[in-house]
Amino acid sequence: MAGGRGARRVWTLVLVLLALVWLIPIVWMASLALQPNDLLARTTSNVAWGLIPWPFTLDNLAFVLGSGLTPRWFLNSAIVAGGMTLAVLATASLAGYAFARIPFPGKRVLFPLVLAGLVIPEQAVFIPLYTQFAEWGWHNGYLALIAPRVAVPIGVFLMTQFFRGIPTYLDEAAALDGADRWVIFTRIMLPLARPAMTTLAILTFLYAWNDYLWPLVSASRPEMFTITLGLASLQSNFAQSEGLGRVMASGVLASLPVVLLFLLFQRHVVRGIAMGSGK
Amino acid sequence: MRRIRPVLALLVLALFASPAFAQDTTITLGRFFGACDVSGVSIANAVGEPCIIQAIVDAYSEADNGVTVDTLPTDWGNYYDQIKASYAGGIDVDDWAPAAREAVTFDGRIYGVPMDAHANLWHVNMELMEAAGLVNADGTPILPSSPEELLAHAQQVKDATGADYLAADFAQFPIGVRLVMTLVWQQGAELFADGVADVDSAEAVRAVETIVSLFDGRYADPRLDYADSQQSFLDGEAAILVNGTWVVDFYDAQAADPAVALTDYYAADFPTLFAEDATWANNHLWAVPVNTSRDAEAYQAALGLLAHINDQNLAWARTGHLSVRTSVLESDAYAALPHRDEYVRTAAIARDVVPVVRYDAIQDVLNRELQAIWLTGKPISEALGDADLAVQDLLD
Amino acid sequence: MTSSAPTRSRAARRVRDAVAGYLFVGPFLLAYVAFLLWPFARGVWISLHDWNLLAVAINPDAKTFVGLDNYVRMLWGDGLVWSLDHQWGVRLLGLALVAGALWAWRRGAIGRGTALAAAAAGLLVFGFALGLHPGEGGRWGDRRFWPIVGNTLTFVALTVPAVAAMGLALAIGLNRDDRRSAVLRTFFFLSQVLSVTVVTLIWQLTLSPRQGLIAHAFRSLGLEPLAWVTSPDLAMPAIVIATVWWSLGFAMILFLAGLQEIPAERNEAARLDGAGPLQLLRHLTLPALSRTTTLVVVLQIILHFQVFGQSHLITRGGPNDATQVWVRYIYQTGFRNSELGDASALAIVLFAFMLVFALLQMRASRGEA
Repeated sequence: MAGGRGARRVWTLVLVLLALVWLIPIVWMASLALQPNDLLARTTSNVAWGLIPWPFTLDNLAFVLGSGLTPRWFLNSAIVAGGMTLAVLATASLAGYAFARIPFPGKRVLFPLVLAGLVIPEQAVFIPLYTQFAEWGWHNGYLALIAPRVAVPIGVFLMTQFFRGIPTYLDEAAALDGADRWVIFTRIMLPLARPAMTTLAILTFLYAWNDYLWPLVSASRPEMFTITLGLASLQSNFAQSEGLGRVMASGVLASLPVVLLFLLFQRHVVRGIAMGSGK
Repeated sequence: MRRIRPVLALLVLALFASPAFAQDTTITLGRFFGACDVSGVSIANAVGEPCIIQAIVDAYSEADNGVTVDTLPTDWGNYYDQIKASYAGGIDVDDWAPAAREAVTFDGRIYGVPMDAHANLWHVNMELMEAAGLVNADGTPILPSSPEELLAHAQQVKDATGADYLAADFAQFPIGVRLVMTLVWQQGAELFADGVADVDSAEAVRAVETIVSLFDGRYADPRLDYADSQQSFLDGEAAILVNGTWVVDFYDAQAADPAVALTDYYAADFPTLFAEDATWANNHLWAVPVNTSRDAEAYQAALGLLAHINDQNLAWARTGHLSVRTSVLESDAYAALPHRDEYVRTAAIARDVVPVVRYDAIQDVLNRELQAIWLTGKPISEALGDADLAVQDLLD
Repeated sequence: MTSSAPTRSRAARRVRDAVAGYLFVGPFLLAYVAFLLWPFARGVWISLHDWNLLAVAINPDAKTFVGLDNYVRMLWGDGLVWSLDHQWGVRLLGLALVAGALWAWRRGAIGRGTALAAAAAGLLVFGFALGLHPGEGGRWGDRRFWPIVGNTLTFVALTVPAVAAMGLALAIGLNRDDRRSAVLRTFFFLSQVLSVTVVTLIWQLTLSPRQGLIAHAFRSLGLEPLAWVTSPDLAMPAIVIATVWWSLGFAMILFLAGLQEIPAERNEAARLDGAGPLQLLRHLTLPALSRTTTLVVVLQIILHFQVFGQSHLITRGGPNDATQVWVRYIYQTGFRNSELGDASALAIVLFAFMLVFALLQMRASRGEA
């Protein structure tokens, strides 16, 4: 038993060290963002391999927040991620409820058809979507960035599963009282579905905030870049080695919202992953 | 001065015209060079490609001339991909007369205003050259005139200083392709012409062997990318850096910075290692898809802007690029710019690729196969043979 | 008379339900058809054409129907021959895996259907397909396609086992209700929420031989820093490292969820029976997690098959295509070389590849539920 405790201590130590290794790249990015640009042009290992931000400056963060397109990119990301989240929640909860509860003709065909969409990856549709949106003149607009994700059936799948799990006597009682579908849906089902919807909302938001391929194709005007895309454009510039601190500051700022969201809603994120993968 | 063919680098499409902002005609201008981080700088005070071009354009946009310019700056890496995408995605082609449509197809009538010629130079660290005894009495660097001399100089630098002789981005952007093209041209050959690829010619093999001999002798490191090769030059770890004209003023400023190892900087013409003079060059040029009948107002506005940019050619030349206007080239103000007298011959020896439709893809093929040679040790004849097939496919 | 009122009301209710049902699924269905099903069908259609992005944008009639030409050029070539010993190393390895699958079936670890399907597919791929190569004077229609498929598979083969094994180890180590475990779990998961462009930003610099954190560490140990990104042997490991760092948290969470379904009493009982930690792991934990493991592996395969950003931003597919992957090839074919027909064909074949794994995933999660 004593040996077991020793082994456990070693094991814990290993885990703690590994966790630190895992954190170091993030810490490094943050630290570089807090060092002067002209220092970074010469060296990225000023104090302790650059892990300690000394000399310390907030110039890069202030610069990125105050000028250039970064604030605009932030706004775009917020609009796209927010809009996408709302649209997915609305369409998925409505459809999920119908598939779980309303006996309508054609449902037996429709539901498998919708599930079949789960196997179509983004990469299989982004080229036709591109030409289609070009014909409609949708590119460089928020709608073009939001719409394709609304069509992905994973949200409908999650919500259907969830509504199926709610005992039927609740809505049956309400129906006997004469409540119609809409009232049952908004007054009874939606409040019950709050945990599932929170999870779906967070996963959608994270996806929208971090998506790269589709915005790269659809948004060609820098004013319409999301922060994720804008960050990529900063990276591939020739000027990269001249403005390291600023690029890193953009990276830090781009990550802050998702990191905060994650820390606040960790439980939902974790549950969402388990749910989203069909567990 | 030899006029350099304004081909390939279709820099800008001033496309979408709409009468916004009261009477001002708004024209949209797409460009690369990256975004300028500082706003409201005068042309005279602007530094670097992004800010100089932005200041030139802003001055026109803000002037009381009824024209507002909406700029789309984007990064170089994705520029051509994105301009194609926005070109394909943003035009209401139904709005055009059929004749107008034809006018902008491939051999279309494109109205262009060249802005500069940019060529490959040898950027020289004179301190290292001095130590290796490679400086003339007049203070100019002694550069090689044959492949054998190239290796001899490289050995001299290695012996005297331990530094690499030459650095360049061989691993990422197509600087290596341009280097090989230059050496092929210097032997009077072409990699492709008249729709026929000739990538595995004896001249091409010789050109590649010349470069590979530098790697074999450990006089150069093929694994450096753009940023690393530049950093290695600035850190005094390589005597020569092969890079374009666009960095001359930046390196000049770096050499003046006491914190930077490079102290004595010289910008030399690309030396002639074979029979003919040549160095790779290209133009940045401005283009408007022509259709005067479509929107005369926007067209005039675009022309006005291009005329203004043309007027500001001296300011643009402050990046290090060669001016395309004789009046500027002969002016005192141009001669007073740093190092310009050191690479005057470049304008005369500059050469461009023969125009081909799918140059992007061809350059990608060459870049891949050359990287295969110097990074993965693929045999030269095999790599050039594969490149020949692939380039021919793209020409067909 | 007495029964007609309920009948009518039942009929009315059926109509009401039909209307309500379609109103409820309507918004989603509209998006689903317009932005997923229809584009997918259009993608198939585009893939049957010689379709230049710019030419067609200017003149919609500038496309030519070419049937399956794009597919044939991509997948096939001229003068192909088959030899027994071509790529024998990889093929032997693959055949060993086939033997493994059959053995697992004999042991009862996997079902008969799965085992036979795996064996058939394995024999086809490793026994036959990989033996094909251009003979004297022959060539592939697209010399880059199969090597790029190989790169993508290599990326998946390096990333997925690493992520799964480390995720499992961490999940077992951190499956505890104390505060420290919770904090460590958060640390490991944190990198997962970053966007791919932040991940590439961090790793591009971390891996740099001059300015990189790893280079600093190497130098302080007196070693020469490695040129990760520009070296043909290290470029793939470089993006694998970045990816493992990025996606470990996801696997860990799934394993934790799986572990929490194992009743604590079973652990207790086994421990009272005198089982050591390793025995516990081997005889209790791993078997109980077998479905979760399948799920993690399949999900990771699907996810990493679609790798794009790491290759596009860290290595730019280089050096010499060493890290060029399938999705980046689609992107470049379509938006750099403007060949939408070829790009769509590439995308459809990618879809077919991934479909196999998606079906496996559905099987795995259905088994779980």
